[in-house]
Formats: sequence, structure tokens, C-alpha cells
Amino acid sequence: MKVSPENIIELSERPPRLGEQAPALGRRALVVGCLLLIAGLGLGFSGHHGLAHVLHAWLVGATFVLSIALGGLFFVILQHLTAAGWSVVLRRQAEMLASLIPWAAALFLPLVVVTLLGHAELYPWADHAWAAADPVVSKKIGYLNGIFFTIRMALYFVVWYELTRWFVRNSVAQDRDGDPQRTVRMRRSAAPGMLVFALTSTFFAFDALMSLDPHWFSTIFGVYFFAGCAVAVFSTLILGSLALERGPLQRIVTVEHYHDLGKWLFGMVFFWGYIAFSQYVLIWYADIPEETIWYKHRLHGGWQYVSALLLFGHLLVPFAGLLSRHVKRNRAALGFWAVYMLVLHLADLLWLVNPTIGGHGESEGMVFGLTDLLLWLGLAVTSFGVFILRAQNQPLIPARDPRLDESLGFENQ
Amino acid sequence: MSSSLAGVQDNTIEDPTTRPTLVLGQNDFASVTDKVCRIAERGGATRAWKIAFTASVATTLMLFGMIVYLISTGVGVWGNNNPVGWAWPIVNFVFWVGIGHAGTLISAILYLFRQRWRTSINRFAEAMTIFAVICALVFPGIHVGRPWLAWWLFPLPYPQNMWPNFRSPLLWDVFAVGTYFTVSLLFWYVGLIPDIATIRDRATTKIRRVLYGFFALGWRGSHRHWHRYEVAYMILAALATPLVLSVHSVVSFDFATSQLPGWHTTIFPPYFVAGAIFSGFAMVLTLMIPCRTIFGMQDLVTMRHLENMCRILLATGMMVGYAYSIEFFIAWYSGNPYEGFTFLNRAFGPYAWAYWIMVSCNVVAPQFFWFKKIRTTPWMMVVVAIFVNIGMWFERFVITVTSLSRDFLPSSWAYFKPTTIDILTFTGSFGLFFSLFLLFCRFLPVVAISEVKAVMPQAHPHHHDDHQAHAEEARA
Repeated sequence: MKVSPENIIELSERPPRLGEQAPALGRRALVVGCLLLIAGLGLGFSGHHGLAHVLHAWLVGATFVLSIALGGLFFVILQHLTAAGWSVVLRRQAEMLASLIPWAAALFLPLVVVTLLGHAELYPWADHAWAAADPVVSKKIGYLNGIFFTIRMALYFVVWYELTRWFVRNSVAQDRDGDPQRTVRMRRSAAPGMLVFALTSTFFAFDALMSLDPHWFSTIFGVYFFAGCAVAVFSTLILGSLALERGPLQRIVTVEHYHDLGKWLFGMVFFWGYIAFSQYVLIWYADIPEETIWYKHRLHGGWQYVSALLLFGHLLVPFAGLLSRHVKRNRAALGFWAVYMLVLHLADLLWLVNPTIGGHGESEGMVFGLTDLLLWLGLAVTSFGVFILRAQNQPLIPARDPRLDESLGFENQ
Repeated sequence: MSSSLAGVQDNTIEDPTTRPTLVLGQNDFASVTDKVCRIAERGGATRAWKIAFTASVATTLMLFGMIVYLISTGVGVWGNNNPVGWAWPIVNFVFWVGIGHAGTLISAILYLFRQRWRTSINRFAEAMTIFAVICALVFPGIHVGRPWLAWWLFPLPYPQNMWPNFRSPLLWDVFAVGTYFTVSLLFWYVGLIPDIATIRDRATTKIRRVLYGFFALGWRGSHRHWHRYEVAYMILAALATPLVLSVHSVVSFDFATSQLPGWHTTIFPPYFVAGAIFSGFAMVLTLMIPCRTIFGMQDLVTMRHLENMCRILLATGMMVGYAYSIEFFIAWYSGNPYEGFTFLNRAFGPYAWAYWIMVSCNVVAPQFFWFKKIRTTPWMMVVVAIFVNIGMWFERFVITVTSLSRDFLPSSWAYFKPTTIDILTFTGSFGLFFSLFLLFCRFLPVVAISEVKAVMPQAHPHHHDDHQAHAEEARA
């Protein structure tokens, strides 16, 4: 579309917002999500693995929500850091996704409390007696213990919340005052922001996911988690834009933006594959038992199918599927791949988490069922509800961003 | 109006309402062509060039002398010992391959990211890439022990039915670096074609016309030529992008697939790639800053370009620092006594001096780039960039030598000391690099003329409308 100055003035005076039916939709999502959660919890607690299964499924679902929020934060910081122009009309969506961080903190609260109380169903090291007796874990008891874990988790969420708040507050304030200096200030804080983001998300991945098997370690693990966040957020942004383009963002989000989002998704799928392959091939090649055990759990007892699913489904198939320019510029096709990648991202988290059911670094084989699906869906749907209820408070685009016209008129070569 | 005038003078001011001008001064298409081509068209070489070239060639001859001495005598002339079987040659190899990363990153990845400022520096950086990879290839070639059998590295069918070990990352390296070199060379050459044609068209002597004409492949600048060119460039950029990642990832596999603490760690591939880009950009800055002054190209390679490179240096330096910290943390977290020892040994053992040189140069030095004053003062940038060059050599030294010198068996520990031959061979490789580089500066367009023109305001279809508007504004 050709953007005229009149369009831009109109946009900045009456920026697009969510429709009036949004709050009702949000509330409905909350109700449905809560029902799903109740069903999932009921089924889970009555199942064979009881609390252990519930906690693992909950961790997968909560990490899924958090990974999208963190991906949103990463997207926002990255756009400011690089002074990007093409993405301005998408940035508010990412800001709203990042604003889910306090909600994600609430989702992690039960897991942290259970661990702090010394229940070792999720994190074996929470059992202090076991940890002290284990020859390896006893060496890191100063790091892996309930109190320090709680402090670190609190720190990560506070840092992410503050980062999000800083960027969202300035961005929303700019909707009102249109001060371009805000953009300069946000760019300036983007660099240290990115640094803090990298360190906190890495250590979060170590603490929340890697320490499920407290014997195992991998230096690339933080980057692996980050790659998953990036895949998740670009998928979500594609879906969000598709949904909003039917309403308030019509003629604001264009095929050119989908093309770029598609390129990013393709790039991040490949990046995830690169990181996953690097980790696997180095551990496979050196063949040191203390490292290979982690993959052994994931190559036996049914998990080998999930491993194969990740290799083909999370890397090779979407690589081929997203390669073409036509796919990235076709809304239906790109929307399909976005949903597909979110499902595969869940499979990736499942593969990281559930093989550790059984505790103490042992695996009980394939523990996966309706409990997981109900809890994931419940967490995702309630989070969607929270997202909608929060997103109605501000315009859907940073309407007076100085680079808005660049984004509206953006074209790929 | 006043703000746009100020923008012409200083394009490093952050103004989100407008994009910085990438070509300064009163330049139009003709003056850009003239400015760049003149460097390659000087009748006789300048005195400074002759002195520099003579010195470089002499140093290159020393490198060849060292190689002849090595081959005729044996690897005993190096400081390599048992257990430090991989020493300076491998360190130098990784150092040079790393330097060879900036070019393709700038030409491929920054191209895909639509970073228009890359146009002024990509030619230069790509040339540097190719020369650095040539220097890199020397070292594994002479390190194999019996260099006359180095061709066994290639999977050639011959009667003894001997094949290279396809499971060895060292062999993957042959393919990875070979592919990278080929694609980088092609990419560089494809980009050069329109500019070589420009020099051909300006040629005043027959020999120049024939030679540049030969390499211009009959370029006429027709629409069809440009169309094909753009498509080829895009495809090469897309092919080169994964190569930027793959080369140094495979180089990192040489170390990380082993079981040696300090070598075997899963973050190595992305960490090596970040380090390679870091060192490559440092070398681009080191060479670009003096060159832009000598050739009078401050209007084309502006302060904005240099500042952007400083930012990339800062970002990649942070990534390297991240990897150092995570390695250290996990060495402790693993609870593995060998891992823990290796890292403590690096920081406080006999090679602590090398470790702290590495940390100060790679992690501390780039921190100065947080300050805009330093990001916009050329001599300060050169100082930081040279520190980074030194630091990145030491990084490879620390990784390679400290891990080997003290491994699992204390009875076989040994301290490595380089010999004079080691030092002279490494110095000689700089001679080779600079000889090629000086030839490039003398005979080829050091800036991608046609690409720079595309980012000038004159190339914008509405440029002349704007002019009119500005004129009216000024009149009012």
C-alpha cells in the first residue's frame, strides 16, 4: 500500500486498538483455560506419576508461555538496538507479549514453592539429603538448593519485568507525546539490556531446565533455550499479525512484513538446528558417559520417536517448507508454518523436561499423555486471555514512532 | 533545514526521524567513480606503496624460506613438544581463518539484513577475507608432517585404495575451508565485475583495456546484465551465510570433538563463530582507518561506517566474553575435577600471563567502545582494534596450548616455548597477507563503486522531487 502523510497523521491521532469484543474474548479464554487446568490437574494427580507428572507438564507449559514472552522482549530490544525501521508496526505486539512476564512469574510460582519446600519430584537436588550424598551434586549444593534457586528465579523475573517496563513505558508514552528522543533513549538502553537479557535467560535455562538432571551440563544450553524462544516469538508474531490484520491492523501490516517475519522464522529454525546439532554432535563424538546419558534417556523408551520428530519436524521439514519466497508471502501458508512451529516448540520443551520424570537423573521412559495436553492447553489459553485483557489498554502500534512511515511503506527489494 | 545541513557534516548524530547520510561531501555518481578508480589508475606506484610492498614481499620470502627450512629439516625446528603437539601452526591457522570471517559476514549477512552502510566497506573486507584464508591454508599444509603427501587429504581414488578418514573433523575442515574460500572468491569476483568494467572503460593504455576487459567478462551494464547480476548476488549471499557459520564451527569441532578438558565443550561452535567475526572486524578496522586517510576516502567510508564497525566489535566482544564466563561457570558446575582444574590452570597456572592478555584484550578493551568519543576517534579505534587482534591470537593460543600442556597425566606435563622459526614463520604470514593486500589496493577498486551509488540519495527515484521541495522551502 502507498502511505500518504494524511494516513500517518490519522494513524497517530486515532491509532488502532482492539475491538470492543476483545474483553469478552479474554474473559472467555480465562474461563476455558481454568477449566482445562482443573481437568488436567485432576487427571494428573490421579495418574500413576501423580505430582511428578503434573509438575513436569506444568513446567513445559509455563516455559512455553515464558519463552514467547522472553522472545517478545528479545524482539523489542533487538529492534531498538539495530534502529530497525521495517518492524515498527509489529513492535507493540512484541511489547505486549513481553508484558506477559509477570503472569509467567505467577505460573512459575507453584514450581518454585514446591522446590523450596523440599519436594524433589521436579528437581532432584531439592532433596537435600540425596544431594549431600551424591558425589557430584554435593559439590554444587551451594548453587543447587531451594533458597538460592528461589532468589535467582526472583531475580530473573524482576530483571525481565523491569526491562519490559522500561521499553513498554517509553513506547506507550511516545504514543502520547511523540517525542523522538524516547527512541534515542531506548536505543541507548538496548545494548546493556541485551547483555542482561542474555545472561539472565542463560542462567534461567540452566536453573529451570538443565538442572532437572543435576548431573548433566552443557555450555551451549542457554543458547539452545534462546533459539527456542526466538522460534516461538516469530511464530507468535506471525499469528498475531494475521489475526489483527483482519481487524484493526488492516492495511497496516502488509505482505512485506510477513515476508520478513517468515525470513526470521526460517533463520531461527535453522539457528535452532545449528545449535541443537552442535550440542548433539559434540557429545556423541566425544562419547563421555556423564554427557551421553542425557541423550541416552532421550533415545530410549519411546523418546527416540520424539528425538526423530525434532530432527525432521523441527529442522528439516520446516527448513524445506519455509525456504520459498512464495510461502513467506502467502498468509495461509505462513500461518500454517507458524502454528506448526509452535507445536514443535512444545515438543522440544517436552523432550527437554519429561524424560527426567523418575527423578535423580533416572528416566522412567515415555511419560506423556492427556495430562500434559490438558495442562499445556490450559496454560496457553489462560495466558492468551491475560494477553488480550492487557493488550486492550493501549494502541496496537507505536503510533507516533518516528520510523512508523518507514515501516508502513516498507517493501522487500 | 539547519538539521539536515548538520547531518551532512556529522552523520553519527542519532536522529530517529531520518536515516544517516552514507556518502558525505559534494559527491555525485561521477565523483564517486573518479575517486575510487583513480586509486587503481595511478600511472606509477607511490613511493610509500613501493616501500610497503617491498617490505611485504621480503617478509613473504622469509616465510617461504622458513617453509623450505622446515620441510628440509623436519618439524623439530618448531617448539612443538610432547604433549603440545598442536602449537603455533594451529594457533596461526585458526587466527587467520577467523580474520577471514568479516568479509563474508559483511557481504552476505549484512546484505540480507539490509545494512546499507556495508556497501562502502564490503569490497575491502572481502578482499581481506580471501587473503587471510590463503594465509590460513599455509599452516595446516605445512603442519601435516610430510607436506609432500598433503594431497592425501583429498578423497582421490588411486590404486592403493587409501581414503581419508571421513569421521575426522580435520577432514571436514579441508572441505569447510575449501568451500568457504571458493564461495568467498566467487562472491568477491561477482561483485567486482561491474567495477572492473568501469575501469576497463576508463583505461588509457591497451594492456589495461585488455586485462580489465578480460576480467569484466564482457559486462555492458545492460538491464539484463544487472538483472542477472542481482539474482546471482542474492543467491551467493544466501549460500555464503551458512558458510560464515559453518567454517568456524568446523574449526571448533577440531578441538571440541576430543575428550580434552578445555577443548571439549558444547558452546564451542557459536563461540568460535562470534570470535571469528570479532577478530575479522578488528582487522578490517585496523586496515580501513589508515587506508581511508591515505586514499582520501573519508566521504565514502564515513565516521558512521567506522562507528557501526565499533558497535559490532563491542557486540561480538561481549559474545566472546559470554562464552568465557559460561565455560568457567560450567567447569565448576559440572563437578568434574579435570574441567575445574583446566580452567583454574588457565587463569592461575603457568600460562596465566597468556590468559590475562586474552581477557584484557578481548573483554576489557572493547568496553571502551561504550563511549561515543572513542567510537568516533579513528586513532583510538585503531588502538582498540589492534588490542583485539592481539587478544584473539592469544585466545587460540590459550585454548590450544594450555589444555595440551597439562592434561590428565601430570607426569607428561610440559611447558611449550616457541622457537625463532615459529616466530619468523608467523611473522612471514603477515608478509604474505600484506603483499596480496597491497596488490589489491593498487590494481582493483577498493570500494564497491556501483553498490555505493545505490545508497546515495541521487539513486532514490524521488531525489529530484525532494530537491525541488527543499529549494522551495529555502526560498520561503
